[in-house]
Amino acid sequence: MIETDHLSFHYEEEPILQDVTLTIKTGEFIAIFGPNGGGKTTFLKLLMGFLKPTQGSIRTDVDRPEMGYVPQLASFDKQFPISALEVVMMGALSYPVSQAKKMARTALERVGLAGKEKMAFGSLSGGQAQRALIARAIVSHPKILFLDEPTANIDPEAQQLIDQLLTELKGKMTIIMVTHNLPSVIKKVDRLLCVQRQITPFSPEGLCEHFALGLYHPPLMRSP
Amino acid sequence: MLHTFLWMALLAGFAASVTSGIIGSYVVVKRIVFISGSIAHSVLGGMGLCLWLKRVYGIDWMTPIQGALLAALVSAFLIGWIHLKYRQREDTVIAAIWSTGMAIGVIFIALTPGYNVEMMNFLFGNILWISHGDLWMLLGLDVIVVATTLIFHRKFLAVCFDEDQASLQGMHVNGVYMTLLALVAVSTVILIQVVGAILVIAMLAIPAAIAGHFTQRLSKMMAISVLLSCLFTFIGVLTSYQLNWPPGATIALIAALFYGGLFIKRSTCQ
Repeated sequence: MIETDHLSFHYEEEPILQDVTLTIKTGEFIAIFGPNGGGKTTFLKLLMGFLKPTQGSIRTDVDRPEMGYVPQLASFDKQFPISALEVVMMGALSYPVSQAKKMARTALERVGLAGKEKMAFGSLSGGQAQRALIARAIVSHPKILFLDEPTANIDPEAQQLIDQLLTELKGKMTIIMVTHNLPSVIKKVDRLLCVQRQITPFSPEGLCEHFALGLYHPPLMRSP
Repeated sequence: MLHTFLWMALLAGFAASVTSGIIGSYVVVKRIVFISGSIAHSVLGGMGLCLWLKRVYGIDWMTPIQGALLAALVSAFLIGWIHLKYRQREDTVIAAIWSTGMAIGVIFIALTPGYNVEMMNFLFGNILWISHGDLWMLLGLDVIVVATTLIFHRKFLAVCFDEDQASLQGMHVNGVYMTLLALVAVSTVILIQVVGAILVIAMLAIPAAIAGHFTQRLSKMMAISVLLSCLFTFIGVLTSYQLNWPPGATIALIAALFYGGLFIKRSTCQ
């Protein structure tokens, strides 16, 4: 469970998030959406403890090593000399090397990347690299999985594979995912949070009604 | 037959290559070449101070290399602290440390009486000047660098690739980052004896940058980088002997020529 109490975050003088109070229950699947620069990634980083709130507080019953994180793929250096297996092993740093290797192989199999262990991370396709990052996040069986736009800039086939993977993970852990691709997640999430300096929660049904009234969100309008 | 001093120079060069290959690989993949340049140039302040204290106050046990080590570690700590606390202004502050270190060095050199040939050797390198004691010190520092790398490689790799993930795993990222910078500082001092403070960044960055083109594994990159560094030292020392050129600059130039050649070859092949 995660609880935020009147949470605010300012970057220098610029307010990014203001007065956010909400509770995320254990096992919930949450989608976070909102305009670019609205504070989605900042909110995620606050929940994971990478940033400290300017005001208010965050409480959770989960330790940081029990959290898995899939950052945006664009933040990685494609030229970094590292294999897919080594990337996934980084999700199991507290385990001895031999055990971490075994766990990483299992996680790669789980995301459909068996046989790609020795491939350079930089030479994987966008969808494969994203799945390797998901494998890294789930390799040590986290209680909360955070994902920051895992389906951005990847082909539809890879998107489908990731959607399928998230469906499999649903219920096994709390999932909090930033996404612009609402149509693909709206059916499987328990709740949606619109982040635009403040946070407005929606149920999937409520969001559809909201959209029906014309209070649309542009990414949803691009849906097929 | 090679002269004894040439053998000594080659041995010193090979010892320095172990360090430059391993630490240079971390420097290149972590993209902290600019930080390493700042550490390398700020050592001038420490060397100048020690030489001044030695000459003016007669503190004989002080040597420029001790000052270099102290200045390198202090600037590594300062830069690391700035990186961790004030990331937005990092490049400006690193440039300030770079120039401040050099400015302090220049002032102390000016205040130090006599002709500072010793200082010139540390600035531009003179591998032919290596004594048995220096060689043992180089090998000792090699052992420290290799042992620290063997112990911390998994942690260094994690911090170089993704600091956030390492932090989430409960790793003391700041401590590991500081240890890495301290190793860069120690390596800088080792390399100063071979190529000099001004050219040290070439030996840290160029062999590793070339090695990066031939492998997708960091451990292999380190091994290739060590071999390349040995090769550049070998060619550089022999060329400088034949042409009567400064050895440090010749080694750096040979490395740069290889890098330039590779760059041109890659550009024409694409």
